Amino acid sequence: MVTLSFLLLGFVLVAVQTTFFHQFPHWLGRPDLVFILLVFSAYRFSWLPGLLLAILLGWLMDVTSGVYLGTYLLLVLLVFSIVKFLSQNSAVKETVFQIPLVGGSYFCAQCLFYLFFAFAQPGALPPWSWTRVIQETLILLVASIPCFVFFNWFYEKLTTRRLASRQLKRGGVNRFR
Amino acid sequence: MIVWSRSVRKKSNDRKKTSRSRGPRLFLLFVLFVGLLFTILTSATGRRFGVFHQVTLEALGPLQSLFTNISIGSIRLKDRYISLWNLQKENDSLRKELDTYHALLDEYREAYSRNRFLETELKFKKEETFPALMARVVGKDPSFWFQTLIVDRGKNDGVVTGMVARNSQGVVGQVVQVSDNYSKILLANAPSSAIDAIVQKNRVRGILKGAGEQGYILQYVLKNGEVEEGDIIVTAGIGGVFPPGITLGTVSAVRSKRRGMFLEIEVQPAVDFARLEFLYINLSEEQLVIDEMSRSLSSQGE
Repeated sequence: MVTLSFLLLGFVLVAVQTTFFHQFPHWLGRPDLVFILLVFSAYRFSWLPGLLLAILLGWLMDVTSGVYLGTYLLLVLLVFSIVKFLSQNSAVKETVFQIPLVGGSYFCAQCLFYLFFAFAQPGALPPWSWTRVIQETLILLVASIPCFVFFNWFYEKLTTRRLASRQLKRGGVNRFR
Repeated sequence: MIVWSRSVRKKSNDRKKTSRSRGPRLFLLFVLFVGLLFTILTSATGRRFGVFHQVTLEALGPLQSLFTNISIGSIRLKDRYISLWNLQKENDSLRKELDTYHALLDEYREAYSRNRFLETELKFKKEETFPALMARVVGKDPSFWFQTLIVDRGKNDGVVTGMVARNSQGVVGQVVQVSDNYSKILLANAPSSAIDAIVQKNRVRGILKGAGEQGYILQYVLKNGEVEEGDIIVTAGIGGVFPPGITLGTVSAVRSKRRGMFLEIEVQPAVDFARLEFLYINLSEEQLVIDEMSRSLSSQGE
């Protein structure tokens, strides 16, 4: 249920990213909300539902962006696995410290993405621009703060509701016996 | 006895004083009476604005003037105060009115520009000979690496991968992926896009490569080719995908480096890719695209 809800949220985010964000002025950028959701899922979801969500998010990105199907899927799986591994083995579990990792992973993902295309399909992407990538990373960092707050709230809401419904089900029998 | 005699003496002294002061008073009263009588008589009989009148007026004038000034001043003050009091209300209402007019003006401007845009598109559709399928842009690429669009026309409308998308300004791109009701279009300025192009004025040929947000780069034009800023680049029509003579852009910069055989030519796209709302898919190319696809499939099979 939680995975499905987050997948629906991913749908909404992709729609927002491909429509509303294009109305914004260029300097404001278009933060990759799906990427933020991906990193969040790596933090909060366990391996199996997290991977499922990541695959579906990659699928969504493949459909809406680019020409070469499957590249986003690969990238998303790679990012999810690395961030999941890092978050599991990191001693710091505070949300505040998760934000810089979003920026770091995004920057690395862009580098990897470009490198992949430089070898697989030279000339398919525009020339590498440090300014552009750094600008997008900074915008993503700023956007990730409210996004993480919202995703956390949404996650808590869903999980507490699930817990409450389970307790209610258990409560059907006589507890005072 | 002594007290009584003192009081009698005091009373007699007071009486003496009273009789002494009554004389001048009576005289003064008499003078006033005569003066009044004289004034009345001269006013009634002479009908002339005499000295007394003038003196009176001269005495009264400044006072009147003073009072008039005071009253006018007070009226003005009152008016100003009231007008100030009302000014805020009036200001607010005028501001609201101004906002309404601004909003209306924006609406009219938007309607005007939309009308002009639709007029141009209609003219384009009437003038063009190809069966154009109008499509609305519903989404743009979320990443900054690719230049793709999603439009609301798909297989059900006869759209096939490889079809060319155009608008009144020029070539927009090519259909790369199709679903039943939607298609993805690779914009002509995408780095993976390459179009055979010529310089309109002297037919110098080259390959127009997409350069992302920088527009296009015209490649493989020899250094002896006469290309200048402002020259119009059109499709060459080689290969059959793009009909010849469709505007692609205008030359914005020409550089000739020491090394190499070719010029470096930057081209400003004719199409404003950032503001695309509608485009036309050339349906006449359906058979051509299908033939080409089947040919490539058969060659792969061999």
